[in-house]
Amino acid sequence: MSMTDTETEIITPPGEPVIHTRRFFKAPPELVYRAMTDPEYVRRWFGPRSLEITVCEADLRVGGRWHIVHRAPDGTEFGFHGDFLELDPPRKRVGTFIYEGAPDHVATETMVCEPVEGGTMLVATMVHDSVEARDMHVASGMEQGILDSYSRLDELVAEAQAT
Amino acid sequence: MSPLATPDLTERELDQAFGALSDPTRRAILARLAEGEAGVLEVAAPFPMSQPAVTKHLNVLEDAGLISRHRRARQRLCRLEPVRLKQLSDWVGSYREFWEESFERLDELLEDLQSAHEIDQSKKQKQKQKQNKTKGEAR
Repeated sequence: MSMTDTETEIITPPGEPVIHTRRFFKAPPELVYRAMTDPEYVRRWFGPRSLEITVCEADLRVGGRWHIVHRAPDGTEFGFHGDFLELDPPRKRVGTFIYEGAPDHVATETMVCEPVEGGTMLVATMVHDSVEARDMHVASGMEQGILDSYSRLDELVAEAQAT
Repeated sequence: MSPLATPDLTERELDQAFGALSDPTRRAILARLAEGEAGVLEVAAPFPMSQPAVTKHLNVLEDAGLISRHRRARQRLCRLEPVRLKQLSDWVGSYREFWEESFERLDELLEDLQSAHEIDQSKKQKQKQKQNKTKGEAR
């Protein structure tokens, strides 16, 4: 993979409650860090366009809270919040991450902005607890193993639906 | 952390299916069955474990809706149930889509910010030059 490849790499090592995300950005770490942390910027990119951001707040201090709420076209809302555990711009940010649909599960996210030639390599590591952990773990098994050939799977689905 | 729904699957079905997939033997069994249906003995052959142990794995996969078992003549055959697998892959896919679309939007934002930053910098530089010039003139 070349450094300018902007493919999103999602890796979930089998047996670990972890999900690693890597993505190259053609901008310096200072900017990537700010765009990923400052709510004024986060509201401009976080989530697909089909979801409206109704809340995007962050108290940018260690111990401070962040809160984001998405609203789907059908009116359903999805909230996320967490606390900042470490703020070390422009390189590193650590915080908790709670999906309000499953408030008992607290994940910890470490975001690192590595300076690389021509830009920044974002390396985010999300450590989940039990249920999420399993889901993500298995997602890796699916991504790397049996679901290698999506096209084959589509064929099988078509076949199964025909019978 | 995908907020993008779990289409057609209940939380329990998701848990069960992901639980079933969280074991390397069961994933290997599914990989084998993705090539086509197979007899129980054939499925068990590559694994260094007893037939009952393999049967336990097959039960877990069947309960999770990932495979089905039927008889043909005297043979007991296992078959992949691709619809459930597709539902799961859609569910995982939504996680990837969520981030891919977010990051594309972030690319655009960074580009905007960078050009704004460059304009800002050149303004500052011009201002500096102007200041230096005035300083020079004052001397």
